[in-house]
Amino acid sequence: MITTTALTKSYNKVPVVRDVSLRCEPGTITGFLGANGAGKSTTLKMIVGLARPDRGTATIDGRPFVELPNPTRMVGTLLDPSAMHPGRSGRATLTIAARLAGVHTRRVEYLLDLVGIADAADKRVGTYSLGMRQRLGVAQALIGEPAALILDEPANGLDPEGIAWMRTLLRDFADRGGTVLLSSHLLHEVQATADHLIVISDGAVVAAGRLDDLLASSTILVRSPDPDALAAALRAARIDYVAGPDDVLAVDASGGRVTTEVVAGVARDHQVLLTELRQSETNGLEQLFFSLTAAKAAPPQEAAA
Amino acid sequence: MTTSLSPRTLGIDAAPSAPGPIPFSRLVRVEWAKATDTRAARWLLALVALSTIGMMLVPVLAPTTFDQTYASYLRVAAFGLTILLPVVAILLFTGEWSQRGVFTTFTQEPRRIRVVNAKLAVSLLMGGGAAVFGGVVTAAGLGLASASGRALEANLTAGAVTGYLLFVLINVFAGVALGALLQSSAIAIAACFALPAAFALLGAASKLVADWIDWSTTFNWVLENDWGGHVPQISFSVLFWVAVPLAAGVVRTMRRDVT
Repeated sequence: MITTTALTKSYNKVPVVRDVSLRCEPGTITGFLGANGAGKSTTLKMIVGLARPDRGTATIDGRPFVELPNPTRMVGTLLDPSAMHPGRSGRATLTIAARLAGVHTRRVEYLLDLVGIADAADKRVGTYSLGMRQRLGVAQALIGEPAALILDEPANGLDPEGIAWMRTLLRDFADRGGTVLLSSHLLHEVQATADHLIVISDGAVVAAGRLDDLLASSTILVRSPDPDALAAALRAARIDYVAGPDDVLAVDASGGRVTTEVVAGVARDHQVLLTELRQSETNGLEQLFFSLTAAKAAPPQEAAA
Repeated sequence: MTTSLSPRTLGIDAAPSAPGPIPFSRLVRVEWAKATDTRAARWLLALVALSTIGMMLVPVLAPTTFDQTYASYLRVAAFGLTILLPVVAILLFTGEWSQRGVFTTFTQEPRRIRVVNAKLAVSLLMGGGAAVFGGVVTAAGLGLASASGRALEANLTAGAVTGYLLFVLINVFAGVALGALLQSSAIAIAACFALPAAFALLGAASKLVADWIDWSTTFNWVLENDWGGHVPQISFSVLFWVAVPLAAGVVRTMRRDVT
């Protein structure tokens, strides 16, 4: 289990991470979602002891990472796929990690095969594509047969087939009782992979919970050729909304007061033409993410950019 | 999708036996491997060997201009070794930061002081190994010289050998100290060549600097086994070039955030 309590960190007096508390349970994949620069990587670095928090604590199975006797055997980490010596082969990179972790080097061959870079195992890492480095990084994270994985943007640089492979691998890992914490700035990626979600914006957690629960707090998407008139009508009816891309307004439908029928009625009363009106479904997370991060940082009109 | 992509077992079904701490000997072995297993590292070590052998040709080929004694041959080996050996030591420490290996190293062993100690042990082994290699090259040079019918003064005392060994190790650990402190390969290597030269220049202007800090003066006393009346100056130089920057470097390594 991975737990943090009120992790807080500033660089040069600029707050980067603010009171981030999270909890990742065995058997689950927790998606750590946020825009670039939201504080995801810094949080992950504090969890594994690469950065010191100004305040707060982080533990793995109840112990700070830096007190784990042989951390690789408990937590596999992939924080930067470019952080590998370019002059070493993939096999040599894994062999060093295996020797330090104290696992049999047979596992190196198994993992090279598992992540699909066995054919390039003797090439120097400097010649690898980003996708291959991600695969090598996953192999390195798995070297010590850990029960938890902490991965920073593992889908970066992977082709669609590689992303599907990564999802399968992580799901399998979690289904066997493993704990996964992965960060991403890609909404659909997290939606397809994670079952728990933590959304971070400006260094602070703005939403957290089971993916299903977060999606259930639904929104209604409504579109008009005259978005300003629609927005004015909604404001007049005291209905909360967030302006989304392409003139779509995302109406907050949590609480049950506001339904598609209510929105249609408001539009009729104000003589606003609607071209789209529907309960948000597959894009639920997108709306959530959008409303929680982008709209918070920018005025509604510019938030679509 | 090929079968090789489908995970068979990720090993978490088997309850992980609570693993003990990483033994220090394993850390040293892995650090040794990291210091010697890349093409760049091997080239550098080959250059150290070549420069030693190249220097040894001077007294062998120019007998009239060079003291033909065992001790002076050994000193030639020391000069040859220490042209590039500090760079090897620097890279042992800066490589982690410049190549971002710290991401792996410090997550595998988060007690950073143990990693630093392992690297210090590797530096010691490397310095010792280099000194032995220098001894072999010296023997070869002396062998060549005597085969050409020259009379060589066999003046190699225990003190001369000790001075030689200390000189090589001081050079190695001065590199270690710069690397640990500056944590950047380019800056540390530049400093390693520029700083001694700068203090040698200052030493030419100031007797105080020359006697207490100028590396080419104080550490030469060590190499020449000329300790008489120089122990305070040599000690100060070791503090200045090795002990203080190394201590500061260790503290910085312990505290620095990986970004």
